[in-house]
Amino acid sequence: MSGSANVGVHVDHEHPEVPGLLAEFQAKIDSGQLIEADDWMPAAYRKGMLMMAEHHANSEIVGALPEGEWITRAPSLRRTLALTAKVQDEVGHGQMLYRVSQDLGKTRDAMLRDLITGKTKYHNCFNYPAPTWGDIAMIQWLIDGAAIMNQKTLADGGYGPYVRTMRRINMEEAFHFKSGEDMVLTLMSGTKGQKEMAQDAFDRWWGPSLMFFGPPDKPNAHQLPPMRWRMKTVTNDDLRQRFVDRFVPAALDLGLKIHVVEKDDRGYVTSKRPDEKIALNNATGHWEFTQPDWDEFFRVIRGNGPCNDKRLALRRLSYEQGRWVRQAILCGSTSLPPAA
Amino acid sequence: MPDLPEHLTKPFVNLLLAAADDKLFLGHRNSEWTGLGPILEEDIAFSALAQDEMAHASALYELAGTLDGRSADQLAFGRKGAEYRCAAIVEVPDEFDWATAMARRLFCNHFDVLRLERFSHSAYKPLSHLARRLAAEQQAHVQHVDDWMVRLGTGTPESHRRIQQAIAALARIAPQLFEPVESQDQLVAAGLYPGRDQEMYGQWCREIEHVLGRAHLSAHLDAFNPEDRGGRRGVHTVHLAAMLDEMCEVYRLEPDAAW
Repeated sequence: MSGSANVGVHVDHEHPEVPGLLAEFQAKIDSGQLIEADDWMPAAYRKGMLMMAEHHANSEIVGALPEGEWITRAPSLRRTLALTAKVQDEVGHGQMLYRVSQDLGKTRDAMLRDLITGKTKYHNCFNYPAPTWGDIAMIQWLIDGAAIMNQKTLADGGYGPYVRTMRRINMEEAFHFKSGEDMVLTLMSGTKGQKEMAQDAFDRWWGPSLMFFGPPDKPNAHQLPPMRWRMKTVTNDDLRQRFVDRFVPAALDLGLKIHVVEKDDRGYVTSKRPDEKIALNNATGHWEFTQPDWDEFFRVIRGNGPCNDKRLALRRLSYEQGRWVRQAILCGSTSLPPAA
Repeated sequence: MPDLPEHLTKPFVNLLLAAADDKLFLGHRNSEWTGLGPILEEDIAFSALAQDEMAHASALYELAGTLDGRSADQLAFGRKGAEYRCAAIVEVPDEFDWATAMARRLFCNHFDVLRLERFSHSAYKPLSHLARRLAAEQQAHVQHVDDWMVRLGTGTPESHRRIQQAIAALARIAPQLFEPVESQDQLVAAGLYPGRDQEMYGQWCREIEHVLGRAHLSAHLDAFNPEDRGGRRGVHTVHLAAMLDEMCEVYRLEPDAAW
């Protein structure tokens, strides 16, 4: 569901790198060649790629939770099957990305433990609530739409295992997006109640969708390691503008209204007004829009969002409930109980 | 439309609904694990099984709908509790316990293979064709759960204790799978549901005992008492109503709307 390259890369200048190898590595990147798991790489690159792939993997399995809650409430057999398969895909993406991360040097168990203890993060947008079926439609349309935009650019990156995983994930995400589009279209072609459900959900998800690409870029984004090493290839603000240019006209065509909203601590909209900036700027060819509330973004990312505790508690429950099962598999050949 | 004696239509629809409802709620219960399984790889596999069950249910509802006049969604979402024909074992929650989830699949999957085998010889061709198509997937389900029995039964003392406990608890209600729908004997006599319940029950017990033997586990299974009125005749546990309330939460907002 959510690729994110918005992980800061800390370059450890104390770590001695071999200058010749470093130059060779940069030349390889610059010429568009892929770096493979067993190639030499700077320690900061390994660390950064691991953080990025692990964060992405965490986002996939935490991202499965808000939608997973709706599998048992989906309103038709077709939607139930599609949603189950969709959430299953997210878990599959998580599995692939944990494998990429494992190859970079961290065990899966360590990653799952770091996730549930809050040592590592996952994508911010999953800390928002999904109180209606409309939210499920909007997550699949807006958030998966944003994820595809981001991940298409990540598939142009420089680390081979991650790039190949992105290509595969993107194919599946395209189905999710289509399904989301169909769900939104169905609601917006439906009864008054269904249209209101869609609009309310849109109001809840428009802000988190704009935040999806990460905070505004630093002025020197192009010179920093994530872009210099082609861990990411497009800046946050450029991606956000692409998203706006694609989704603003689509939302307006569907009859949705774009609002600037205020939310309470639970993530529910308390007041809204039309976003008066929404307009196509003919000079630039881009749509203008109001920036999301970045104070809220940083508040949520620090763990104070509406659903941070709930999401982590559920992941912890899954980890703890599954521990005896994992032990049974690991110990299968060594500790046989007596026959009954 | 193939011939079906008019007086047998309702019992036959109920037979199809019994199979569809079993699969719908087994799939529903199993789908609750999607995203929360004990191991990522198994999470993915288990979700695929849940989807199979719900897809099988959907195909069976479609078939029942051709005789009953309702759509698959109306049959799945639009009936009152007492109109469902599922057995108690698919209704009870698993309380997020992997042992209960797997023990439930053990009893249900082995039952379903045998039921589909009988369906595949039905004189009602649309059913026999459908059953043959579903049987291959059902076989994979049995393989999956049998492997898990051995894995848990011979894993650690804790896994052995947990799975044995779950099997013992569910073995008490599992034989209710064999409760006949109303007028089932007439469906058997007409070749619509060929085979004998008694033989099917014996085969089911033998298969389960065989798997459990390999897994160093055991189950005490009593034959179904025909005097007990259960899910096949619309008498359900309290869990069904709760499950339906959740499942139909959105559907009931606008039952006639497209979703």
